[in-house]
Amino acid sequence: MNRRHFMQASAAATMAALTGSAPRALAGPGVKKTDAKADCLILLWMAGGMAQTETFDPKRYTPYEPGLPSDRVLSTFPSIPTAVDGIRISEGLEEIAKVMDRGTLIRSHRVGDLGFILHSRHQYHWHTGYAPPQSVACPHMGSWISRMLGPRNPDIPAFIDVGQNLEIGGESDSLKAFHTAGFVGSEHSPFLISDPADAIASTRPSEMIGASRFENRYKKYKQLVEASAAGKYGGEFQKESLMRSLDNAHRLLSSPAAKAFDLGQEKKEVYDAYNTGRFGQGCLLARRLAEAGARFIEVTTEYIPFRFWDTHENGHNRLAELKRTIDRPIAQLIRDLEERGLLDRTLVVVATEFGRDMMVEGKPGLTVKEQVKQPSVMTDIKHYGMHRHFTEACSVLMFGGGTPKGKLYGLTADERPCSIVKDPVTIEDLHATIYSKMGIAPDAGLEIEKRPFYVTKDGKGKPVEGLFA
Amino acid sequence: MPRYWSSLALLAATPLFAYAASVDFATEVHPILAAHCMPCHSGKTPQAGLLLTNGDGAKKAIVPGKPEASLLLTRILGEGGKPVMPPTGSPLKPAEVAKIRQWITEGAVWPEMSAKSPASTWEAPIAPRKVALPAGSGHPVDLLLDQYWKRNNVTPAAPIADAQFARRAYFDVWGIPPSPQDLDAFVQSQDPDKRAKLIRTLLANNTRYADHWISFWNDMLRNDIGVAYHGERKSITSWLENALDTNKPYRQMVRELLDPGKEGPDGFLIGVNWRGDINASQTPFMQASQNTAQVFLGINLKCASCHDSFINKYRLAQAYGLAAFFSEANELELVRCDMKTGKIQKPEFLYPELAKGIDIGTTTESRRKAAAALFTHPQNGRVSRTLVNRYWQKLVGKGIVEPVDEMDNEPWNADLLDWLAVDFDEHNQDIKHLIERIMTSRAYQMPTVAPGNKIFEGPTPRRVSAEEFIDTASAVTGEWRTAASGDRAAYVRDWKLKSSPLTRALGRPIRDQVYTTRDDAPTTFQALELANGQTLTKLIHRGARRLLGQLAPPPENLYDSRPLRRGYLPFDTKLNGAQKLWLVIEDAGTYDPAKSRFGWADVEFVTKDGTVKPYNSPTKPEPMLSGGAPLADGAMRLYFNKTVEITVPPGVDRIRGRFVIDDDSTPSDIIATPRFFLFGEKPDMDQLIRVAGNAPLARPQSFEGKSAAEVTRYLFRAVLSRNPSEAEQKIAVGNAQRFDAPAVEDLLWSLLMHPEFQYLP
Repeated sequence: MNRRHFMQASAAATMAALTGSAPRALAGPGVKKTDAKADCLILLWMAGGMAQTETFDPKRYTPYEPGLPSDRVLSTFPSIPTAVDGIRISEGLEEIAKVMDRGTLIRSHRVGDLGFILHSRHQYHWHTGYAPPQSVACPHMGSWISRMLGPRNPDIPAFIDVGQNLEIGGESDSLKAFHTAGFVGSEHSPFLISDPADAIASTRPSEMIGASRFENRYKKYKQLVEASAAGKYGGEFQKESLMRSLDNAHRLLSSPAAKAFDLGQEKKEVYDAYNTGRFGQGCLLARRLAEAGARFIEVTTEYIPFRFWDTHENGHNRLAELKRTIDRPIAQLIRDLEERGLLDRTLVVVATEFGRDMMVEGKPGLTVKEQVKQPSVMTDIKHYGMHRHFTEACSVLMFGGGTPKGKLYGLTADERPCSIVKDPVTIEDLHATIYSKMGIAPDAGLEIEKRPFYVTKDGKGKPVEGLFA
Repeated sequence: MPRYWSSLALLAATPLFAYAASVDFATEVHPILAAHCMPCHSGKTPQAGLLLTNGDGAKKAIVPGKPEASLLLTRILGEGGKPVMPPTGSPLKPAEVAKIRQWITEGAVWPEMSAKSPASTWEAPIAPRKVALPAGSGHPVDLLLDQYWKRNNVTPAAPIADAQFARRAYFDVWGIPPSPQDLDAFVQSQDPDKRAKLIRTLLANNTRYADHWISFWNDMLRNDIGVAYHGERKSITSWLENALDTNKPYRQMVRELLDPGKEGPDGFLIGVNWRGDINASQTPFMQASQNTAQVFLGINLKCASCHDSFINKYRLAQAYGLAAFFSEANELELVRCDMKTGKIQKPEFLYPELAKGIDIGTTTESRRKAAAALFTHPQNGRVSRTLVNRYWQKLVGKGIVEPVDEMDNEPWNADLLDWLAVDFDEHNQDIKHLIERIMTSRAYQMPTVAPGNKIFEGPTPRRVSAEEFIDTASAVTGEWRTAASGDRAAYVRDWKLKSSPLTRALGRPIRDQVYTTRDDAPTTFQALELANGQTLTKLIHRGARRLLGQLAPPPENLYDSRPLRRGYLPFDTKLNGAQKLWLVIEDAGTYDPAKSRFGWADVEFVTKDGTVKPYNSPTKPEPMLSGGAPLADGAMRLYFNKTVEITVPPGVDRIRGRFVIDDDSTPSDIIATPRFFLFGEKPDMDQLIRVAGNAPLARPQSFEGKSAAEVTRYLFRAVLSRNPSEAEQKIAVGNAQRFDAPAVEDLLWSLLMHPEFQYLP
């Protein structure tokens, strides 16, 4: 398929938008493609609140013993050196430690104070830049990028979202609320792949139909439409838009580019290097998609209340497991991108909705309603871990896309409360940095219901100078 | 080539972001002043005596055309050794300074801030206006339009043919196409009054009417099936269903929405809330202010909820004045751009003149009653106009005022709008009457024209909605999906089910915001879902087989535990002669399925004469606990999505035992919610719960054994409301004598994707 088809398809959507009340472009600089440092963004999302003192911001280690007071413990793992002098991270992340010199570690990401902790609300805030409720349907970061930049390879959806099943029980609806293109239009919706092993299936005709029947069905359909009294019913314009959209879809579903979704195509040793489970497979999928020309890929460890990073209990053991899940795949992803000469123009961001602490729920001095039963003295290993939600500081990793190599940005205190003591980075500014690297100004946006709506909150995000090489 | 296609080509070439040549005060300068200057330079005693909230005040600090001589700019730049303005908060960015400089250079024009363009002098009236109809004996709408067309040199086209009319009418009132028999009966009827009669007949079927129109109301009132955000939100579905079923007068609906009392639809005023701290502009009462203004008055108060609006004439105080009718407190403090102002606002309606004689009072009840009275005031013609305009847009394609949520804009025909509004009032605001009024006009029956015309020359084509699309697939095949309530399931139309990836792709909104129109442009994303999505593939798969008589009716369960949340549940079920049992465990909404432990214990068979035979678990029994104590030792562990097949020993009549949930496996909010079923024959996994009641529409006859030609003819008539042409018949049938199920699926799919189906005539 060639670009022209896609442009006409989206132009058709734009035409329709102009005759309706859909978003209009803002006057002023919007997309600055020449300033882009990256063509593709891979967001590795540690859903549930990744405990920073157990991963990328280790503090004094206190081993477990029954009778240990909770307020004595800052980290439940010792730290290890990395490829960068002066940066130590938590035991269990040895592979990432080896590639630390390819990117920047930010220890000072401070998220919003939203009151009573609700994961999906913080996730909504992080992914859209706005805390709900809002009077406008807020687009996901991937949708903004899809809208502003479009796809790279027109046969690969611009916004791909891997790893999150949206029907998880509680909080399903709040997840759906931000896994959406919002007002930028459903053309920019996330292409959801909840299981990377199944990715190829979502880009191929359904098994219930099969490839050859699928192709024949479409052939017959076009013949029927040709044979009908074309133009007699509905305007030419609507018919053209509809046919074009179906055409795009069918091309996508039979495109050779879809091979990128097939993990089975990868050599066994490579597959095994990534395969620590669904997240690892997702990282491999992201690499293949980046190579094939994807624009934005989010891979999540998946949010399910009380599961994975959302450790309300048994934090230590679960973190050991989680680090095993992420260590090799993330390191391998960075190495593979570098080896293929893609790392410079690919921005990889590892982030989470907030950090964790054993004692503080919320921000120091702005604590919120308790949700975790952490005894003041631990009597069982399941008490040992970072179980509370700490919105003051969390860690972010950034690789590629013009990010300084081997740098440490921001600092948190060594003693509780581990507040940020240097160079805090807000969501707005982190987003401004990310969008800038992708070639989108922080005050780019669209007008909806005559209100300007920006990619960063109120257009006020400022890219962080220290995160540009 | 249609003329607009060449402009499309131009669009593709032009970058989507055009750079404005000169500064737009309203959207580029005013916001800067509002955010950085007005907090101090406003009110009765502005700082340094400089008022920057209007043009006259600002003149003191500006020399038009000379930025370097203007205090406004020099103080921002901190020139002359004076403190930089603003003295607190973030300084202006270079881009903002540039805008101010440019604005001053261009003459520092401070225009009147309102939605109207400089040339327009239109003031939307508040009071209703009775319009005298022109002389003549036609339909009132047509008499009014005749004048409009004369003025605009338009010759109205002749009405569409019967089949198309029937199609339009059925979709517009019921949201489904006419069945082939009903279509034939209508087309063949010689009754000169048949079109008007059809409309009345369609409107008279309350259930089908309500099943279609409820989606319009759900979108507008932010109501959805079972959506929760761990914050307060309440459904008003049963009230809405009843309101549509009984054709409740609109003013009564408005009254009840604004003053629900203890029994009414309070969900509308409660709004959509998330747990935690929220922005002052999104408190429930501010949401109520925005929503009531948008829905009932066609006014956008969203901007005015944070500051005086830059895009229309509404002010912060007005948004708060309306909010104060719905808040707990009797008066509210204005918060401007997240900063408390110290200004207090009491309840004040947008049209204070209507408040004469109405005692607003100070209690929540009195204020809500007052709100209801003010919105439904006989002299408040805006409420009728706004609703009439919405129905006109829904039925004809473009509102008399556009956009439909900006009722301050000038209508393209004020007489038409005002006449319809008063007619609506004079008929007790009967919504079905309004629909009939519009649909019986000749204007409604005109052929569609392409959208984008300034002059109204006829309806514009509309695309079938998500719900209409799926309901058609069901209606045509007789395959309906079920929604469970309690231990019964019913066949339902799509609106009653939670949104699916398919309906979301086809435009069913996430109802966090008010939606009064839906975006219906085709997108690749939608097309992917239509071509390859699970929901549609499955529906068509089953639908084709149902049409061919190949779907057996789903077996009925012998036992249904209903969702079980804690502890244990004894059961004792007759087997009705079954020799094999299937034990199915469904996840009825467990928060964390992987963590849950549950099973069954003490299972025994009982023969007719009372002999008990134990059921031996094929797996090692596991203990189940509750509060640390055993609930059942020796329980057989069960799992979601793992059906257990059990051979029944001879002579056995009943099975009994206990279902148990290990409460210790489900701490705090995680609630395991398994639902257990016992079947005496292989279950249909899509229909475990017993279905009660009929399908929403009579099922079509079975096509078992019928020829491919007959099936083709039926599908064309059912989906497209016409016979296939010879050429189409040839393509569809090919060489087949009979269609197998896949062939029916594929033909049905093609017809549902056909532009002729997707866009109503």
